[in-house]
Amino acid sequence: MTVLETSGPPPARTVPASPPVGEVPIQYGLAGLTVILVAAPLAPILLQGFSDKPLYDEGSLTFANFGKMASYPGFWQMALNTVLFGILATAIAQVVGTLAAILIGRTDLPLRRLLGEVFLWPLYVSSLILAFAWATIYGPSGYATQMVTLATGGQPWDLYTIWGMSLVAGISLAPVSFIYGQAAAATTDPTFEEAARIAGAGRLRTLFLVTLPLMKPALFFSSILIFTASLEILSIPLVFGTPSGVKVFSTFLYERIGNAAIPDYGVAATAALVLICVIVGLIALQNRVLGSTRKYVTIGGKSVRPRPFALGAFRWPVFILVAGYVLLAVGLPLGVLVLRGFVTFLHPMAPLADVLTLQNFRVLAEFPSYARSIWNSLFIAGVGGALATVFITCIAIVVHRSEFRFARPLLYIALMPRAIPGLIAGIGFFYAVAMIPGLAPLRSTVWILMIAFTMAAIPVGYGAIAPMLLKIGPELDQAARVQGASWWRAVTRVILPLLRPAIVACFALLFINFFKEYSTAVFLYAPGSEVIGTTLLQFWTQGHLGYVAALSTVQITLIACCVALARTAFGVKIYG
Amino acid sequence: MAELIIEHLVKRFGAFTALKDFSLHVRDGEFVSFLGPSGCGKSTTLAAIAGLDRPSEGRIRIGSRDFYDGARNVFLPPEARGCGLVFQSYALWPHMTVEANLTFPLSLRRIRKTEQRRRIAEALDLVEMGAYAKRYPHELSGGQQQRVALARTLVYNPEILLLDEPLSNLDAKLRDRARIWLAELRDKLRMTTIYVTHDQVEALSLSDRIVVMDRGEIAQVGTPQEIYESPNSAFVADFIGTTSFLTGIAEGQGTSLRLGLADGQKIGLPTTARVVAGEPATLALRPNQLLSDAEGPGTRLTARVTSQAYVGGRWQASLDLGGNHLRIETEQRLEGDAIVVRIPDGVGAVFRASPAPVTPVLQAGTV
Repeated sequence: MTVLETSGPPPARTVPASPPVGEVPIQYGLAGLTVILVAAPLAPILLQGFSDKPLYDEGSLTFANFGKMASYPGFWQMALNTVLFGILATAIAQVVGTLAAILIGRTDLPLRRLLGEVFLWPLYVSSLILAFAWATIYGPSGYATQMVTLATGGQPWDLYTIWGMSLVAGISLAPVSFIYGQAAAATTDPTFEEAARIAGAGRLRTLFLVTLPLMKPALFFSSILIFTASLEILSIPLVFGTPSGVKVFSTFLYERIGNAAIPDYGVAATAALVLICVIVGLIALQNRVLGSTRKYVTIGGKSVRPRPFALGAFRWPVFILVAGYVLLAVGLPLGVLVLRGFVTFLHPMAPLADVLTLQNFRVLAEFPSYARSIWNSLFIAGVGGALATVFITCIAIVVHRSEFRFARPLLYIALMPRAIPGLIAGIGFFYAVAMIPGLAPLRSTVWILMIAFTMAAIPVGYGAIAPMLLKIGPELDQAARVQGASWWRAVTRVILPLLRPAIVACFALLFINFFKEYSTAVFLYAPGSEVIGTTLLQFWTQGHLGYVAALSTVQITLIACCVALARTAFGVKIYG
Repeated sequence: MAELIIEHLVKRFGAFTALKDFSLHVRDGEFVSFLGPSGCGKSTTLAAIAGLDRPSEGRIRIGSRDFYDGARNVFLPPEARGCGLVFQSYALWPHMTVEANLTFPLSLRRIRKTEQRRRIAEALDLVEMGAYAKRYPHELSGGQQQRVALARTLVYNPEILLLDEPLSNLDAKLRDRARIWLAELRDKLRMTTIYVTHDQVEALSLSDRIVVMDRGEIAQVGTPQEIYESPNSAFVADFIGTTSFLTGIAEGQGTSLRLGLADGQKIGLPTTARVVAGEPATLALRPNQLLSDAEGPGTRLTARVTSQAYVGGRWQASLDLGGNHLRIETEQRLEGDAIVVRIPDGVGAVFRASPAPVTPVLQAGTV
């Protein structure tokens, strides 16, 4: 055996020859870009909120907008509606989601995997599509409504109330509660439950005295999350609230700027600021809950497979209950929506064979602006999703794997979009493009949509990347550094390859997010940069229900393909 | 190959000082161990040498190159230092084969492909892992991973080799074998090496010199023999091996120093002991300096047996000698509740005052 330094030529260099790629410019550049991206929509809203004239005019600073907003006719009713809507939606989502998490995740329910899959569908399709689906089947002239009316002779229910709105929002948000509940249940030590059983507690008692209390932190955490999300939803209040005049913050904003004859920018910006402040408060509360219970509710903890509760004699009755919910709340509405796309007219009395048509799809294909909205959506999802993934991955790495001085502040800024609803981000970017001279060419292009979507998606993408990044031992990149690799090379050669599954998952998540996003686009799109969501809204307001259904069908199909592809090709589960 | 000079190194984490005024001169080719309990600052020092952590004050040099100089605000990033570091967890890149792991540092140095192959084969042969070049780290056992980690470090001829508890993740049997193997490798390579460990056996058997550290400070620097035989404090004596402490009052002068125990018995102290008559003093004894056979020269003392336990082939007895707790191993179970122990003349290390409360070092059997 030879000894290293006595054989062969003398060591050439002890220190690598390659000049290090400058880590400082990369890190500062990235941080600067993040600040610009987050500030772009926020700064104009802040300015506008305190300005007495539209931003394009020379205004002066004022607090008058707050008073003006408060004295708006119906403002306080709207504020009350918003709170009520949020509380009701959260309550419904939590009851349904938690129950499903326990029944699907913890018992021997038949077909529980399939039921769990369908339960999550509202997350994949946007709340916009779920709203249309519910309106198509349970709305005043909906298929099921008509059927019941024919049978009983009276209108059985009215979804166009705050209760109906809350119900649909609750169902669309129940998957969030489901995911958090399941994660909490999966990381709970099953011996707690076994101990209760051995101590003599029955199944139900164990459930209520041990399982549910252990899920409490997760429940509280997801409650705040769901409440926040309900404040941001535009589609459901728009579809179910507007016809009967029930307004919430999001529809108020939408109408003040989007549809009013003379948009009152000052008041709209003020309302947006109020909403942001409320959400910031809720997030602060959420962080306190998180800090006081466990560092991460969803991550960490050993993933034990607890023994499922045996339902015994209740197995099939409970199955019927759960399957009934999944079918009535998710499966049938989406099915009827798709069906509506293939008919001219949908009514219980009209035989299907007489009304079948492909006309709706033909219109989509023939009108350039309709077809374009599909291509634009795909382009934004594909290209924008990829760019955003690169950007967010870099942020996560600089925050967690560099000696960057401002790593902490960078993380705070990067997570700030959590507090900015998509609708408001859209308004903000709309102002920014109008205000900043050099940005005019961006207006009415898909690029401004891509930028806005990226800004809004930083926290979501970060959530997909960071857990895995934190699991990669720091000594792996330290080893590369000691051996002579620059920071950038250690990142590209060691961290990025190990992070690949998380990067793929992040891309899949952002692809779907961007593909279904509509609220951010509402104020930003222009002829030429339509996306599916904005075209859907346009069809809906014009009353083209067939086109709505057909375009929804296209979106649902493409999302289903994408989810299936992500799952089979990359093994990525996008949610849960 | 170079000498390593550390001057007045300080590392603070907020208000906490992890390393206080650490100075050390490691000669070219010397094998130096940093030994101490967890939190003593040994890993902090290693990280400062490797450049993974920026110290607060002081200076680190290799030969004429400044790695760090607090006064002049010089700090070389780790990649510019040319150190070799073997991590406790080995840090083999899981997405690369053994060969690719070894290629990485070579390609950074723009070494020709043929030369790369030759060096990799040589390094793997050196650690007897030549047959495993195409494997992935997860396909190797812990001991094999440890060897690959070493090969990956040696393959680019670092100026200085840093080993961070490289044996601590191995099981006891494998650790003994790896230690012997590491000693052979050390003799072959003769590289300037810093070896961080909390295991006194590793430090004693491998090192040219040992730096015993305690709470961010150097407790003692010396050859293994010096450290073992003349520890300068009760902490060092306790940390370096199973030691019995006898505390009493020093008596006599010059060549007739004695230690008077609380129960009136007296022990002759080595003449080198620097104690003042009438003041408390502590005698630290190695297991081989406290004998259960009453025959032979030395001081005979009577101790009370407080408990006995069978530890496999031998008996371990706990004794009380003038209020001092001692432990002794015997071939047979002791009969009766008292035993005569013998301390050969002039052995043991003597400290003034009583030993500081030290964390007990758990150790199976005698060294």
